Amino acid sequence: MSLNVKKHFGDLIYIVTILFFLFIIFIPAIYVLTYAIGGKIEISGELMKALSVSFSVALIVTIINLFFGVALAWVFVKSKSKYKIWLDNLIDLPLIVPTAALGLSVYLFWGEFWNFEKGLVMIILLHIIFTLPYMVRSVAASIEQINNTYNEAATTLGATVFTLFRTIDLPLFKNGVVTGAVLTFTRSLSETGATMMVASMATMTAPVFVVNLKNSGDVPQAAVASIILILSALSILFIAKFLTRKKHFNFNYIYPKFEQSLSNLYNVRNFILTLFFLFIILIPTFYIIFYNFANFSPIFNSQILESFVISFGIAFAVTLVGLIFAIPMAYFIARSKNRKLASLFENLHDVVLLVPTSALGFSLAMFWGKLEFNELLILALSHLCFTFPLLVKPITTAISNIDFSIEESALCLGASYQKVITSILFPLILPAIVAGSIMAFMRSLSETGATLAVSHDVKTISVLIVDLVKNNQLAEAGFLCFVLFMIAFIFLIVLKGTKKKM
Amino acid sequence: MPNIELKKITKTFTSINEATKGEIITAVDNASLKIKKYSYNTLLGPSGCGKTTLLRMISGLENPTEGKVFFDKKDVTNMPTQERDIGFVFQNYSLFPHMDIWHNVSYGPIVRNKFTKETEKYIHSILKMVKLDERAKAYPNELSGGMKQRVAVARAIATKSPLMLLDEPLGALDVRIGTALRYDLMKLVKKYKLTAIHVTHNQEEAMTISDNIIMMKRGKVIQSGSPKEIYKNPNSIFSAYFLGRCNFFQCEMIDKNTANFQGTIIKLPKNYTRKKVVLGVRGEKIHINNILKRENIQGTIEFINFLGEKWQYIIRLSDGTEISALKRTPHKAKIRQKVSISFYADNILIFNKPKDFESEKSV
Repeated sequence: MSLNVKKHFGDLIYIVTILFFLFIIFIPAIYVLTYAIGGKIEISGELMKALSVSFSVALIVTIINLFFGVALAWVFVKSKSKYKIWLDNLIDLPLIVPTAALGLSVYLFWGEFWNFEKGLVMIILLHIIFTLPYMVRSVAASIEQINNTYNEAATTLGATVFTLFRTIDLPLFKNGVVTGAVLTFTRSLSETGATMMVASMATMTAPVFVVNLKNSGDVPQAAVASIILILSALSILFIAKFLTRKKHFNFNYIYPKFEQSLSNLYNVRNFILTLFFLFIILIPTFYIIFYNFANFSPIFNSQILESFVISFGIAFAVTLVGLIFAIPMAYFIARSKNRKLASLFENLHDVVLLVPTSALGFSLAMFWGKLEFNELLILALSHLCFTFPLLVKPITTAISNIDFSIEESALCLGASYQKVITSILFPLILPAIVAGSIMAFMRSLSETGATLAVSHDVKTISVLIVDLVKNNQLAEAGFLCFVLFMIAFIFLIVLKGTKKKM
Repeated sequence: MPNIELKKITKTFTSINEATKGEIITAVDNASLKIKKYSYNTLLGPSGCGKTTLLRMISGLENPTEGKVFFDKKDVTNMPTQERDIGFVFQNYSLFPHMDIWHNVSYGPIVRNKFTKETEKYIHSILKMVKLDERAKAYPNELSGGMKQRVAVARAIATKSPLMLLDEPLGALDVRIGTALRYDLMKLVKKYKLTAIHVTHNQEEAMTISDNIIMMKRGKVIQSGSPKEIYKNPNSIFSAYFLGRCNFFQCEMIDKNTANFQGTIIKLPKNYTRKKVVLGVRGEKIHINNILKRENIQGTIEFINFLGEKWQYIIRLSDGTEISALKRTPHKAKIRQKVSISFYADNILIFNKPKDFESEKSV
């Protein structure tokens, strides 16, 4: 091929990738919004109630996470303790544990062990668990980016620990806090699978309500609920973009006694954080394992086997197909000379990521349902939709972190474009590809909300768990969760291994 | 404050480097030194010699593994940095990116809860001194490297701390600006009656600004004294080579005041009892002669470098030793010409011959 043809070939890949993203991922994801154009928007009292539960849970969880998440992240980055490595390993666990398994575990712990009732408090307790990792990780990542000499400089100038936290660290890692809060809020707003386990008929969140409406055939109300969920997720994204704009903070005052006394609270702080992490996060997450020891009832029948095959098949297929498009998409976002277009696409990925999954599933069912596709195919397409951004994000970051001059020097040494990609770029971003693939695979394996909204007869493993719980077969559901839990654990270990190489 | 004294300070790290993981690295090795009030001191040594670690231990940012730090005879080894009352200028300045210049400079007095109307005037006067009064509302990313450096110094002075610690404060600047700022630094330290400890690897910088130079190598304090003292009487091959460059001749002693360098007899300025000796002669003390004299050392001119105010002649001796001679006026000799060199006995520095001469000289 001549150089010119090659250049056009590169453009062609971009165009195909962008078309794929727009028509397979983005438009189906928000297709439900078109419903608002023609249809009448009516909000029933029940929907109103579900929405108010959703928003108050999201708000309360965000506030609690702001407090504990920021504190944990700060301790996590600054601590020189040898226990830190344990925190590092455990903190991501709720992210990767299948949501249905997590929900059941939390229900069994608070409901069966402590005899709490299903409802608002338990929903909040559950949501704290799976949103905390987002908060801790995004805050910790931005604290790590802060040059440590800023802290040292402030120390030599006389600032005590809390003053330093308030005047130096907080303004500098503010963006991480905002990102964490946005993720917490939107995740809480959109979570379905786990929430179903702890919600009662009287108190349910909007996404759970959407699934129920969908199952009972009330399409208009489900559409309205989906629209509201999607729009509120989007508006939060905009608010966050606005909040992260301010960069300058000048401080004229300190509160010497107050800040000094807070600085001395070291041990109390560590004690509270340890208690919180152990009893609110860790033990409820793991409780299902203990429960299984007590109520061990392994079941395997053809239905379960079929569900496993469907779940793993879909997860594998969407990860593979996603990767084919995610790599060029990531390269486009990271390297395109048209920065405005690149950042537009980056934001569009965020939108897909933030759209509540049950609303997303509903939207997809509406879009693909028109074409009367096979149910399994629609299910796969919907999984492709919410896993794709998970693949693109880490690969984009990895490519942006590679100095472009490395590629340029390979070109100067005479390597062809192809050779540069296979011999330079690919080995460098491989850990990100593995990490992204595992995240996408696990997400597909464990997702409940969108799956429930799309499927009728095809049952993935997490849908099966939900059914078992509905039929009150807790021990059997517990066993399946245990299996998923173990798979998640193995993947987590692999994930850690690849992260070390990054 | 502050007469500063370090007593037998040692600092070891456990390596986190993949290749040497777990090994114990000694950054500072049993270092003791005294710093006099109102003096300008430099910690001079090649990179990795432990000078920055030593400075950080004085500031309390690092704790010594062994040994003690005294400020005016008071043991401050375990005192937190915040309470030590110091000013610290970082190599990369560490200006807080989210605060403007005014708030960067006033941060110290504010967090020490000492901010008054007078402090405000004082900060204005400091900003005026460093010629940044008009840029007080600017943010660090809007300033040039030299300006940032001046803000960093102003911020340290604004604390009214009598002790100023500077970690390679001029290292990140281009040579011309760095050289000009040397004098500003010196002036500021004298004007505000500070005691300064300045870390650098630049020997020229150390010589121009210091009252007192502390030479370090591989974690050890090798020698300390005024620039003149060290230049005239270096106590080691390393000191002689690192501060001002030096030529070395490895000789054998014939009797107690004559040495033999490859057949050439050299008279020593004083008696020396060991068998082997290394003689050092500074480049400007070496004379070049076009007439080849039997009793002189002979070599071939390899390079002639014009350095502006002086000429450098690189002469290769028959055993491979390289000699650098500095002349204020050009010599008649040409490249590849054979010449003989000579020097006066008074200009000879005498050193014990080390086991490994090259590693002794190397940084």
